[in-house]
Amino acid sequence: MHIPDGFIDGKTAAVTAVISAVGVGFALRQVRRELPPRRVPLLGLSAAFLFAAQMVNFPVAGGTSGHLVGGTLVAALLGPSAAVVVVTTVLIVQCFLFQDGGVLALGANVFNMAILNSVIGYMIYRMVCHWLTGIRGRVTAIAFAAWCATVLAAISCAGQLAWSGTIPWSVAFPAMATVHMFIGVGEGLISALVFLAVCRARPDLITETTLTGQPQRLGELVRYGLLATLGVAVFVAPFACSWPDGLDSVAEKFGFGHKMAPLLPAPAPDYHVPGIHWAVGATAVAGAAGSLIVFALALLMGRWLVPKPKDL
Amino acid sequence: MPCRRPALQFQTEGPVSVHLVNHHHGQPDSLVYRLSAALKLGLALVIIVVTVLAPVQWRAWFIGVAVLLVLTAWLSQLPLFFLSRRLLVLSPFVLGVVLVNAFQPAGRAKWMAVAVKSVLCLLTVILVSNTTPFSQILRVLKSIRVPTLLITTIALMHRYLFVLMDEAERMRRARASRTFTRGQRFHWQTLATVVGQLFIRASERAERIYDAMCARGWK
Amino acid sequence: MNTAIEIADLKYRYHDGTEALRGVSFCVAPGECVALLGPNGSGKSTLLLHLNGILPEKLSGDGTVKILGEPVAPKNLETIRRQVGLVFQDPDDQLFCPTVQEDVAFGPQQLGLGDAEVAARVQKALAQAGLADFGRRATHHLSHGEKRRVCLAGVLACEPAILILDEPTSDLDPRGRREFKALLRQIPATKLIATHDLELVVELCSRAIVLDRGSVVADGPVFELLNDEKLMLEHGLERPHILRHQHPH
Repeated sequence: MHIPDGFIDGKTAAVTAVISAVGVGFALRQVRRELPPRRVPLLGLSAAFLFAAQMVNFPVAGGTSGHLVGGTLVAALLGPSAAVVVVTTVLIVQCFLFQDGGVLALGANVFNMAILNSVIGYMIYRMVCHWLTGIRGRVTAIAFAAWCATVLAAISCAGQLAWSGTIPWSVAFPAMATVHMFIGVGEGLISALVFLAVCRARPDLITETTLTGQPQRLGELVRYGLLATLGVAVFVAPFACSWPDGLDSVAEKFGFGHKMAPLLPAPAPDYHVPGIHWAVGATAVAGAAGSLIVFALALLMGRWLVPKPKDL
Repeated sequence: MPCRRPALQFQTEGPVSVHLVNHHHGQPDSLVYRLSAALKLGLALVIIVVTVLAPVQWRAWFIGVAVLLVLTAWLSQLPLFFLSRRLLVLSPFVLGVVLVNAFQPAGRAKWMAVAVKSVLCLLTVILVSNTTPFSQILRVLKSIRVPTLLITTIALMHRYLFVLMDEAERMRRARASRTFTRGQRFHWQTLATVVGQLFIRASERAERIYDAMCARGWK
Repeated sequence: MNTAIEIADLKYRYHDGTEALRGVSFCVAPGECVALLGPNGSGKSTLLLHLNGILPEKLSGDGTVKILGEPVAPKNLETIRRQVGLVFQDPDDQLFCPTVQEDVAFGPQQLGLGDAEVAARVQKALAQAGLADFGRRATHHLSHGEKRRVCLAGVLACEPAILILDEPTSDLDPRGRREFKALLRQIPATKLIATHDLELVVELCSRAIVLDRGSVVADGPVFELLNDEKLMLEHGLERPHILRHQHPH
């Protein structure tokens, strides 16, 4: 999902760069505040870990292979802000050392994979952990959260491509979303398995202990949530409007009203090509159905991987 | 458009790190290598920004940049095979855009613009990153006020990247040597355990690094 | 000051409750080169980490450690760490900077020295370690032997009075071992070396302390101890070949 340079235009690059800078800046401040000095090298090592882990190819049927992206996994292990910093680090090194992902596109890539993926993944993980307790619950939670985060990041990426005019939304959204609904299954599965392995061997290394009901995270999550919503509103909402509602009512719902209208691009003629129109709606329905299916699968996986504890 | 990250390729015998094929250590005696990192990065940024923003009609700009890059590539003494292989990474992306826009009225101009821009930008980054030691790149980032915590994290990641990749490869080989079944599920579980172990080792190493930093007076 | 290192009745437990050190006591005089021997798991590394205050994580009053007469306590860790240079077992843990120059400069910089002084110390330390033109090399590209020497240089740059080494020659090929031993021989600081390399012990050290299961089981001149075959075998060691074919001086 690393967008190369030239695939997003100037305005998209600029807007994503600003949003990402704010998000990463906030994450750094948060990490500085809550991480004990002893754990500072852990950030760099986790980034190296993530990169090395991405090298491990999990064989999938048919000779293809899946691999871990890991934002949600790191968020579950170290907390959302640490995950943002870690994944941003990975993206920067990938960009400058291995030319994976563009320089100007860094803002977009960081937004999709470091911020959106880690934070939304974490939020969903926490929510599910709240309902389903115990290790089993955590396994289910992380599998489902990783899947959702992957799909959402892909949708955001599609939105950025569409906003740049590189690929129209009606093609980008169905393509990216459906492909990543499948890729996300692998991500969810691997994240859960790895999390379980760490949980069993060295649970003390998991610095993010979610089940102690820490309300402090709320302020942090609200701020990230706002940032994510802003991003989504800019990149996705204008296109989600190819639904009967229309651009104006969506803009009003989000409260931007007319002052945002000049910034939002006028839909290009191909958005109204009748044949392609259904693909978007169909994808949305598939996504909703998919998330229910994946959640059920995650539940089953939790049961299968974690034997029922003898003492409750 | 499916996004496939290119997998790194290794020529492995012994430590993975030194034989990483996607990165070249650069020819230290080439002219380009000796230029200052700040100059190279600044110039690269200007080229990338203008290339991305430039309208399709600015042919002179694209041609000029292409000439400059080819000249730089020649001066850098980086192997041509290496350069072309790195550029080929773009092909699935470009192909995707081509396919999508092929059936549009204004499609041809659009996909050609995307193809040209992305190739030029990628070549710029390839040239800079393979002729500049990473620590110098970090120093430039530090001078533009990137926060210290992020710089430290990036530096540590870069330092231990290869160490962890070696560990991952060694663990994987050790596991593979003791894998006699062909079951898919078992395979996944094994790989997941390897990755889990990798995190544990990384965490333990992080603590030892902290101790080593304190031992030399870090506060 | 007549002792460089003074340890009295040191005890330590791991997190899971196992006793790592059970009342270790010994002294090291300034300028001495002492070997710390013992089988794997005897507690050597744990003991060494007490000498610059990394352990214990919390003061528990289980025994005392004094460096140059000063007890090791949270309030004087800074001065202790200036005097004690610890070379870790895994050079990858210690070499955390991207280039050799930066890594060797780390210690002097933390000492608060000026740029010119830091550069001078780096040059001197690298020369001492036989790595004079290694400054610009990237740390992750070095061979194992080179990494070990850079670690030593990084510690020497701080000019400590006491040098402590944890398994300095393990994983080195014979040439690497020879070179490292030659380096160590030239360093005048007080040395405490935890090692399995019995030939190194015979060549460099005057005194040996044997640690087994957290207790000191022997403490005496090298030749006497290492020639005691029964003692060596009992504690997971062996009489080194170099002594079998040598006349004791």
